[in-house]
Amino acid sequence: MPLLWYALLGLFFAGYLVLAGYDYGVGLLLARRDTPAAHRAGLTALGPFFLGNEVWLVATVGILFGAFPTLEGELLSGHYPAVAGALAGVILVTVGVQLRSRPSGPAARRGWDRVIVAGSALAAFGWGALLAGLLQGLPIDAAGHVAGQTHLATPFVAATGLALLALAAAHGATFLTLRLPAADAPATARLARRLLVGALAAVATATALGLLSDRVRAATRQPLPAVLLVVALVGALLAARAALRRGRPGVALAATGAALALPVALVGAARWPAVLVSTVDPAATVTVTDAAASGSTLRLLGWLLLPLLPALLGFQAMSWWVFRGRTDGRAPVYW
Amino acid sequence: MDTLLLARLQFATTTSIHFLFVAVTLGLVTLLVGLQTTWVLTGDPKWERLTRFWGQLYVINYVLGIASGLVLEFQFGLNWSGLSRYVGNVFGAPLAIETLVAFFLESTFLGMWIFGWHRLRRGVHLALLWGVALTAYASAFWIMVANAWLQHPVGYRVRDGVAHLTDFAALLTNPTLGMALGHVIAASLLTGGMLMASVSAWHLIRRTADFALHRTALRIGLVTAALSVSLVQGFGFAQFGPVGELQPTKFDAGPTADARIAEWTTRFGPGDYTPPVLSNVGLGFMILIGFTLGCVWLLLPLLWRDWLIRLRFPLWLTLLALPLPFVAVILGWLAREVGRQPWAAYGLLPTDQAVSRVDPGLMLASLIGFSLLLGALAVTNWTLLARHAARGAVDPALGRPPGTPDDDRSRPIPALA
Repeated sequence: MPLLWYALLGLFFAGYLVLAGYDYGVGLLLARRDTPAAHRAGLTALGPFFLGNEVWLVATVGILFGAFPTLEGELLSGHYPAVAGALAGVILVTVGVQLRSRPSGPAARRGWDRVIVAGSALAAFGWGALLAGLLQGLPIDAAGHVAGQTHLATPFVAATGLALLALAAAHGATFLTLRLPAADAPATARLARRLLVGALAAVATATALGLLSDRVRAATRQPLPAVLLVVALVGALLAARAALRRGRPGVALAATGAALALPVALVGAARWPAVLVSTVDPAATVTVTDAAASGSTLRLLGWLLLPLLPALLGFQAMSWWVFRGRTDGRAPVYW
Repeated sequence: MDTLLLARLQFATTTSIHFLFVAVTLGLVTLLVGLQTTWVLTGDPKWERLTRFWGQLYVINYVLGIASGLVLEFQFGLNWSGLSRYVGNVFGAPLAIETLVAFFLESTFLGMWIFGWHRLRRGVHLALLWGVALTAYASAFWIMVANAWLQHPVGYRVRDGVAHLTDFAALLTNPTLGMALGHVIAASLLTGGMLMASVSAWHLIRRTADFALHRTALRIGLVTAALSVSLVQGFGFAQFGPVGELQPTKFDAGPTADARIAEWTTRFGPGDYTPPVLSNVGLGFMILIGFTLGCVWLLLPLLWRDWLIRLRFPLWLTLLALPLPFVAVILGWLAREVGRQPWAAYGLLPTDQAVSRVDPGLMLASLIGFSLLLGALAVTNWTLLARHAARGAVDPALGRPPGTPDDDRSRPIPALA
């Protein structure tokens, strides 16, 4: 039972990174010196999906609180700066995207665009830093509390944050290649391919720093799946680049999406069966079973929520189906 | 400054900001369902325009509801890790259900509703708004289940210092839940109704275009406010019974409260088990505002032959009363939550054991950072809300037919167009 909920937690966080990943990618691309119309077109491409994407984060934290209460407290407060930074970023993006076009003056809209860029960067970097923090373990004492926050200040954390940022940017450009009017596709495809090179470099740097870090090596319990997942991540990025060259943006988006989901699988698999690895006291390491809520709570949540899961995913799928295809002159404009 | 006080201040600030927006969300979405359903049933374009105008204000208001709600959700883990550690098995369940069953669907539906104008069939588009409203009510229900549990923990057993869930039905039949839920929902309807009446009153005072439109909205808003203010009062006073019995220290000192404090002193050691006076003062002011707003019933007879509009001064009264429901919901929330102190879960988990072991400096930075961020965004949001309310129902961006030119003023506008 705890395993099922752990998988579900991973599924929702990965789903959040894949879906909101292109929100933040499109947000980062607002930093380009483009015409106001081009900025508006990017936001219109996000349009109906934006709110449904962001809410995967809310669901992730809900599962974390309901099914893994002990983990929730130490995970979030143990990575306070990373989580608070990511949270501030998420808030800036959600507010920025929704309010950006409510003032009609060009200066105000430019200002909101900057808010969205800053928020997207913070959010992507923060979640990357959190994943890195989990991979390198944290100083949990015998009482189960995390002492201080300096454990986050490592090159590996910074590099992983930047890698997630680069992945989001490439993912966003790939999404625009698929979604903007066909006339814009060649230009965004070129941009996406350039950004994919950057993402590959960032992932390689983070991997190298991870391999060099004693803490990451010590915290890794399952080296083989970890290495295979990193290889898969690189493979996904190369596949996305190839697909873009052949004019297959749908395949490319699936590949960049996989590239954003794989880090979550990597963090889950590399430390299995631990969820929080203590760097100071091996006995304080928390496993999936330790972290899970008691049996009665998991049974209740299982009976209530699992039958509803198809409906939740079904309504999301409905929104993707209804608003599928490229945006054109008839697309509703609101953000 | 210690970590506990800073964490409490941060929670109070975030909850207060959150509450100002969600009360409007819940109230307005109910009215919107009425407006759009009438439009679909009658086909009268007046109702479409009302739906678009009020829908746009609703959507702008919704933005800060999400943002502050996100901060609240994360705060449980960031600042209150003791809460999840000791009572998370029980308290976490309703919150998890809320996020997945209610909020997840609400946002999915709302995204489709905003972009579904002129794209989806009218029936489907209306069903989406009904979905948004129903999930919003489900959200309120599950959040109140979680909150009622903190007021009066039930359905659990403590093993190894950690609470385990034994009886989920007890959480749903918690005596501190029903009347409080009714009170909160009625207060939200009152806030939504007053907002609609006040904005319409402003347009009627200024004699802007669309007299008929704002007249209709004024009537809907006032009738909603009148009906809900009576419900607010009824559900409010009905809570004194269960609260006096189950939370004797909350609002009054007396033999029951002294007996409970004596019991806690033997179980948890000596300490100050009385809540700060702030909760009682807030309660008094809230009741005063509640009675003042009850006077909205006196305005209803003036709806006859539009005396309300012709006399003018009732319009001013309606406009000036707008801050009252907002002040009252904050005071009511403070009374309920501050009155629970010094407990995180009443009689079970003291607040000082619920707080995270985080450095006070970090907590202070978090308090200042998030309060400034949310405060600035809230003010910006209200400014935009006020501007769009004042602009009137001429051409809201929500539901604008596709292909109409962007309202970006950077484009050259042809002279004499």
